[in-house]
Amino acid sequence: MLRHLLRTVNLFDTAPSVLFLCFLAACHGNSGGGSNGYQARGLVYYETYDPRSLDPALSTDVPTGEMVTLMFDGLTQFDPDGRLLPGLSDHWTADRTGQRYVFHLRPGVVFQDGRPLVAADVKNSLVRVLNPATQGGRVWPLLPIAGAADYAAGRAHEVRGIEVLGDTAVAFTLTEPLAVFPKFLAMPVASVVPSPLPEAFAQKPIGTGPWQFVAWEHDDYLRFAKNPKYWGGAPESDTLTVRIIPEPLTRVAELQSGRVSVSEIPFGETKKWESEHPDWLKRKPALRNVYVPLNNARGPLRDPRVRQALNHAVNVPEILRTVWNGRGVPAAGAIPPTLGGSDPGRKPYAYDTTEARRLLRAAGYPDGFAVQLWRSGTNVEMGRVAQAIQSQLAAIGIRVEIVSRDASSMREAVRKGETDMAILDWWADYPDADNFLYPLFHSASFGPGGNYSFYRDAVTDSLIMTARRTVDQAAREALYRRIDDRVFAAAPWIYLWFPIDMWAEHPAVQGWDVPVIFNGQRWAKVHVTAGR
Amino acid sequence: MLQLVGRRLLSTIPTLFGVLVVAFLLLNVVPGDPVAEMVGERADSATIVRLRGELHLDDPLPVQFGHYLWGVVRGDLGRSYITQRPVLGDLAERFPKTLQLAASAMLLAVTIGITLGVLAAIRPGGVFDRFSMLIAYVGVSFPVYWVGLLLILLFAVALRWLPPSGYGGLAFLVLPALTLGMRSIAFLARMTRGAMLEVLPSDFVRTARAKGVAERRVIGRHALRNALLPIITVLGLDVGNYLTGSILTETIFSWPGVGRYVLLAIQKRDLPAVQGSILFLSVIFVLVNLLTDVLYAKADPRVAYD
Repeated sequence: MLRHLLRTVNLFDTAPSVLFLCFLAACHGNSGGGSNGYQARGLVYYETYDPRSLDPALSTDVPTGEMVTLMFDGLTQFDPDGRLLPGLSDHWTADRTGQRYVFHLRPGVVFQDGRPLVAADVKNSLVRVLNPATQGGRVWPLLPIAGAADYAAGRAHEVRGIEVLGDTAVAFTLTEPLAVFPKFLAMPVASVVPSPLPEAFAQKPIGTGPWQFVAWEHDDYLRFAKNPKYWGGAPESDTLTVRIIPEPLTRVAELQSGRVSVSEIPFGETKKWESEHPDWLKRKPALRNVYVPLNNARGPLRDPRVRQALNHAVNVPEILRTVWNGRGVPAAGAIPPTLGGSDPGRKPYAYDTTEARRLLRAAGYPDGFAVQLWRSGTNVEMGRVAQAIQSQLAAIGIRVEIVSRDASSMREAVRKGETDMAILDWWADYPDADNFLYPLFHSASFGPGGNYSFYRDAVTDSLIMTARRTVDQAAREALYRRIDDRVFAAAPWIYLWFPIDMWAEHPAVQGWDVPVIFNGQRWAKVHVTAGR
Repeated sequence: MLQLVGRRLLSTIPTLFGVLVVAFLLLNVVPGDPVAEMVGERADSATIVRLRGELHLDDPLPVQFGHYLWGVVRGDLGRSYITQRPVLGDLAERFPKTLQLAASAMLLAVTIGITLGVLAAIRPGGVFDRFSMLIAYVGVSFPVYWVGLLLILLFAVALRWLPPSGYGGLAFLVLPALTLGMRSIAFLARMTRGAMLEVLPSDFVRTARAKGVAERRVIGRHALRNALLPIITVLGLDVGNYLTGSILTETIFSWPGVGRYVLLAIQKRDLPAVQGSILFLSVIFVLVNLLTDVLYAKADPRVAYD
């Protein structure tokens, strides 16, 4: 076989030619990125996979949520920095208890087909999301409304907590006071749609938002035109195309050849972009955390001392620097530093293997133990983090077996509490500390709700509920600090880091900003400068 | 011939039924819950329970399968759990694009691969033989993924001759077709060379030359035609593979074909979409195999099917 091979191809000729080809490609790759030619027509963004639908009631994934944000408005909305802004409602009032809200509609808003927005549209939109026949799947942001849970379960014929006040206002009565409720209404699922719904609405939607739907070629692209009558001022660009580009390196190539306006930079490309195009880059601390939930209801991990030991045994700054290219800040708590309620004074668990061993001895595991660490097979970076954790925990005698599964299988196992540890990240649905405490640590959120560590503490539960009911912002944030403190000490996770997102904006594009929350960028203030 | 086609078509029905049963069972054994994928990262248990009920996911398996089969018999592949769109419509939208890519890749493979193979066989050991076999080795051994990205870097980012990815006119087709067809080019080149080397020393080739037939005609008409059978086999298998999804190529080049649809459906545990796709693609595969068999008989009259 080998002789045959050697006879057919002269290997000594082959190797240099292949190397030369690679070299050629590499050289061109470097020099090619320097040109500023923007070839796309108008603004071009991308999604990694085709949106589920364009119907707000079905917005359970990020692509759908982002597309809905372009075409629709809620009563409230977020800006790229995650601040809550007025949306279709230009002002709202809450009663002293925080249990009844009245939202006044912005005057003169019309849908893209010309019909005026009235308060009944708001009620119908929300009732439609709750209606079991819609089969949307994301009703939780509306469940705080009185009667919503009964209606969603088919036990009631209407949602008694939503009240239409003439054409210009809507009142909400909640089951109990909830300070973050206005933020829930900024989520894509709470967008206002026209009623009655136009035909084929999920494929050809009509909203009040800055962009009008033009075309959708599945798995290929979506095209939007500016809504000249947008209440917030018509977008600065005429068109916005959203392409579906699944491969991260292809996205970057598209950006370099001027065919998309912005792109996230893949981890492996960080150094290259920092040295070659520092002026293209935009960074922003994300409302997200990377963590390892420790199953607080399983084996040795039930003991807080063991969990603390794990935190002391992992050298977070080193993993962050080497595996994650430094794109994050070590976490000393679950609340991202940019949110009210985080405590900048709290120190992360120090990397201290002596202390870790002492804690393990005290807990009765002087020789360590064996655990499984689950990871999603498709997420390469997380896989590397898992390997780093595995090797560092080995130093204190903990034998980690890495279990690699596809994301769906892993999610199911984690939710059912069948894993010891898993490596995960948590993305904010709304920019508020509540989003990092109630789902992640309240015992009512076990499993599918987000509490994957099955952390249960009656005091934490009651403090979280008190904070939710507290209307005064400063008092609420003080409570969040206290809760985060308490949970951090109990170490239900291995606390890793808060990522810093890194994007590149093509030099021909102006006005774009990295959104900290997925529905914080509406592309209305973005435009392409001259020199197409 | 017609009888053969009819018989073969009939015999595919049990095959397809088997495919359906296996696909259905496998999907139900694999962990992961379509409703969990549908509701997203944070969900309330009541919603999950209700949706499972509404989608009949808690019915006994035979009942679920019966429902599905009844739909298939009526030509209804069901609706995607995730998008709520009909699966057949989704497939019909994407399949022409996959077909286009596969056909282009095949066209490249046939023209480049066979030409290289024939030219290499004319003067074995010569410069051209070495060159074409180098291409063949490179084509067979380099992973599609890597070659695809390299082509993008070179032709889209550096030279800017072609768009990096996307679906559109001819310019968009070149790189993905080349990437997808590369393996076939390599394989066909080697295959053709081997088959030609076997045929060229035969008596009938010598006779043709002795009669004074032009060399070009000897090679093209007499030798190549007789070397075609193994080539058709390879082509048939490759076409089947290309049509049933070229996930990597479609992913790298953002090509909106069937492969990516199936991949996403599997990731999201979108059972109707996965089952429908498998059935659809099995039908395509069976048809392509049938076509290959028919071509056999056309290429070589000695092949008879009785």
